[in-house]
Amino acid sequence: MAPSSLDVLLKGSSGRNTRGLLRVIILVTIAAAAVSSRLFSVIRFESIIHEFDPWFNFRATKYLVENGFYSFWDWFDDRTWHPLGRVTGGTLYPGLMVTSGIIYHVLLLLTIPVDIRNVCVLLAPGFSGLTALAMYLLTSEMSTSPSAGLLAAAFMGITPGYISRSVAGSYDNEAIAIFLLVFTFYLWIKAVKNGSIMWGALTALFYGYMVSAWGGYVFITNLIPLHVFVLLCMGRYSSRVYISYTTWYALGTLGSMQIPFVGFLPIRNSDHMSALGVFGLIQLVAFADFIRSYLPGKQFQKLLTSMILLTVGLGLGGLVLLSVSGVIAPWSGRFYSLWDTGYAKVHIPIIASVSEHQPTAWPAFFFDLNFLIWLFPAGVFMCFQKLKDEHVFVVIYSVLASYFAGVMVRLMLTLTPIVCVAAALALSAILDNFLVASTPSPTAESKAKASTEDKSLRSTREPVVGIYSYLSKAVVTGSVTLYLLLFVAHCTWVTSNAYSSPSVVLASKLPDGSQFIIDDYREAYYWLRQNTPDNAKIMSWWDYGYQIGGMADRPTLVDNNTWNNTHIATVGKAMSSREEVSYPILRQHDVDYVLVVFGGLLGYSGDDLNKFLWMVRIAEGIWPDEVKERDYFTARGEYRVDEEATPAMKNSLMYKMSYHNYQSLFPAGQAMDRVRGTKLPKESPQLNTLEEAFTSENWIVRLYKVKDLDNLGRDHSHAVAFDKGLKRKRATKHKGPRVLRTE
Amino acid sequence: MKLGKLAITSDSGHLDTLPNTHFQSCPAPCCVNMKLWTAILPLLSVVGGVLSASTPDKFATYQSLSRSGPVDLDSASYEDLTSAPRDYHAVVILTATDSRFGCLLCRDFEPEWDLIARSWNKGPKSDDLKVVFGTLDFDNGKAVFQKLMLQTAPVLLVFPPTIGPHAKVDGNPVRFDFTGPITAEQVYAWIGRHLPEGTKPEIVRPINYMRIVSVVTTLMAAVTVFTVLSPYVLPIIQNRNLWAAISLIAVLLFTSGQMFNHIRKVPYVAGDGRGGISYFAGGFQNQFGMETQIVAAIYAVLSFATIALAVKVPRMEDVKGQQLAVLIWATVLFGTYSFLLSVFKAKNGGYPFFLPPF
Repeated sequence: MAPSSLDVLLKGSSGRNTRGLLRVIILVTIAAAAVSSRLFSVIRFESIIHEFDPWFNFRATKYLVENGFYSFWDWFDDRTWHPLGRVTGGTLYPGLMVTSGIIYHVLLLLTIPVDIRNVCVLLAPGFSGLTALAMYLLTSEMSTSPSAGLLAAAFMGITPGYISRSVAGSYDNEAIAIFLLVFTFYLWIKAVKNGSIMWGALTALFYGYMVSAWGGYVFITNLIPLHVFVLLCMGRYSSRVYISYTTWYALGTLGSMQIPFVGFLPIRNSDHMSALGVFGLIQLVAFADFIRSYLPGKQFQKLLTSMILLTVGLGLGGLVLLSVSGVIAPWSGRFYSLWDTGYAKVHIPIIASVSEHQPTAWPAFFFDLNFLIWLFPAGVFMCFQKLKDEHVFVVIYSVLASYFAGVMVRLMLTLTPIVCVAAALALSAILDNFLVASTPSPTAESKAKASTEDKSLRSTREPVVGIYSYLSKAVVTGSVTLYLLLFVAHCTWVTSNAYSSPSVVLASKLPDGSQFIIDDYREAYYWLRQNTPDNAKIMSWWDYGYQIGGMADRPTLVDNNTWNNTHIATVGKAMSSREEVSYPILRQHDVDYVLVVFGGLLGYSGDDLNKFLWMVRIAEGIWPDEVKERDYFTARGEYRVDEEATPAMKNSLMYKMSYHNYQSLFPAGQAMDRVRGTKLPKESPQLNTLEEAFTSENWIVRLYKVKDLDNLGRDHSHAVAFDKGLKRKRATKHKGPRVLRTE
Repeated sequence: MKLGKLAITSDSGHLDTLPNTHFQSCPAPCCVNMKLWTAILPLLSVVGGVLSASTPDKFATYQSLSRSGPVDLDSASYEDLTSAPRDYHAVVILTATDSRFGCLLCRDFEPEWDLIARSWNKGPKSDDLKVVFGTLDFDNGKAVFQKLMLQTAPVLLVFPPTIGPHAKVDGNPVRFDFTGPITAEQVYAWIGRHLPEGTKPEIVRPINYMRIVSVVTTLMAAVTVFTVLSPYVLPIIQNRNLWAAISLIAVLLFTSGQMFNHIRKVPYVAGDGRGGISYFAGGFQNQFGMETQIVAAIYAVLSFATIALAVKVPRMEDVKGQQLAVLIWATVLFGTYSFLLSVFKAKNGGYPFFLPPF
């Protein structure tokens, strides 16, 4: 009989097993969905590393796999930042490379032949499956409802806010860091709940792993102390909090100091001082708690007051003294710019120039989170119902992460996990009420009224009755199902359209609807690899440094690591000055080729001329007398590239390299720049000290070879004029008196 | 990255409209000026001749005039200060601080400029470094602005000496153009690069005692008030409803792009070019102040409907009332979400999803 067999399955101990099995199946399905929704780019293009930073990570991973762990640790890279080089082993977060290195070796051990590139490409999707699992664990700690965790896992699996940084090929630190973030928080909640040293130590262990993987670990370093601090302020001190926090802090700090790049920062940098301060505070609170149990009330009060005054005074004085004497470093630039939002623009143009560091407009929130964004406040509200220690954590995390995400686009990534938790809490509260088959009888629940708490929220003082009519249940369930389906459609659409482009290979649609693949970058890098000597130095703006190192395997002057602002400003100066100024710079830095990205023919807006003002600004920061941003704007304050461009603009190396010979593509006087939408001057600019070496199919990448000194000792401009058959301009010499050349 | 017109004209006060009205459309003050000039000029040349005969005295005169801050100049003294035989550096700012000109930058920079001059005059410096700081306001020096054909203010000029050890061959001034808000330190660094080697005083920002005192007073007042009122205040601070409200408002503000408004200083609303008001900015990377408030309100309605459905409705004992509440809240939720999707679709043209009513 069907009903009874169902009863057997759903009730009692076998029912528990059935539910467990179902839960496992659902979680595995969610993980599979999370992985597969990230494979668009592999299917559409190929198994390729994306964007900029991943190319460095890939190169470092290859180095690790080829040369072993210890030489990776001591790696000095002389093929970047020519002629300075970079102590790569000590200036990177090694977690990502070591993780994929281990996976690679395990697979080899299992005799599965696999290319290290495929391990790298598929690492992020693989870890996103694990993130969904960690999300289930974390949310299950927050709620008694069995559905909340599953919903959160499903949200986390496909929400674009997380997919944006974890599609296949996006081999970046965030790929594993978000899993570690969520899992560390899960362990922390577990530790606070149980007050056990084991969970605290596990939190520290995964915190250490997180530190090795991503600079965003500072978020954990500050969030956990803040949680503890708020708990103390709420008068919720308990031995559980004490045990878990002290265990985490002691072990976690020691663990984080093992990473060479982090080193002694945890005890010297202001970013980490809140953790240390709370560590001291909790000792005092624990001591006071201990004393209280031995002393009568009055004496204890006196002791407490004097102790508080003494500590505050000593602490403040010590902090001021240490900061003034320079033992504690000031806030790091990136961190400081989060609080004083105008800081970066004035003091650190290189941080302000990165598009990921721009503030977030509201459509970006909706784009990345869809309907989770309005379930989010509702979920935060639900946390106030019970407000246990773990719910306090959710509230703090929510407020703080929303602020950060509003200030910087890239921090949307840290907001996404908590949005998924909160949204799942809200939605599961609805579904748990509306998906009950039985109808409550109106008489039965008046007796349940007694158990109302006085402290709770006003709206939840009445007891829960349940939903009476099937119409209500049908309406709400139906609309929620619709929203969920819409969410899935939205996520798929966003992932497919916005986040699956490798940005190394571009795709566009032809008028007839067919796909047109633009592969200029790889074409140009491959040309470099095939046609230049192994140690030819390539100068380009720093955005392309990692790609040149990874794909063309040639030394570069600057790259995306941006550790040396002066060196970047040098490149900026060379790009923005006249040829006569730039040429000595190029010679002094052994530059053989210069690479520029030009989108004028195709209308590719991310090209160098659009980034040009940042080069000027960064150069101006170091040489304010020689490069001036004002000179690149017309008298009316416009940034123009056409006939009315300023002389500084027209004579800059960047302008000349971008438009060199471009006019010859068009009928006379018809040359158009499709990015800036303007007509260009009739004549293309004359380059004297460089010669065109290669231009890719769609003119996106242009390579120029730096000329050697002239054989006859002439000026380059004279030599070019001679080759063109122009007569030497003597006309000026006959006019007027002779002038002594002072230069 | 979007490159548009740089808003230089809005940053520094644009004077070209005002001088025109002064010098061309109303001839009367102009003529008065000219008459005045003809009267003063011979007198001035005498004075100038006397002074130029003994230039060290000229420096001493101006130095005594500027005991602490910069010297206030008018057209005549400006000409005198910058006239040819001089053995000192003259650093002059041409500005328009009067509120009629609407030059925000001029007024913002005025205290910074005073700070530079005061720091220089008071600080230790090499003996052979002679620098005079001066301020020429548009009200006192229309003639100079006209002569230099200045369209914008403020402008900073550094005149090198023509005689003495640091003399330059051409005595032409070096000009500094202001492009936006700038601090005394940045300008001082620029001036410093145009002065010869030698000990130069540091910029010393005066300690704001007033502020320290007021902060301390406020703090003590707050502590006192808190101690006195604590029996009444503590229940409020410990009220969970209050904290829930604060958290929700913060989350709603941040997720609706408030920080973007704060950082980018976006306009509240803008005209749509046909005389109406457009509440929503075109484009995905752009927004108006009003727009974010509308979006925050939409989110608030949606969240509240969710809370009502999840928390309030299951606690209702009345069967009919519950049915009605469920229908109302579900409709509100649906309608508002549909509106939100339509707004988003308007911002992002290619977005394919929508819900029926809107």
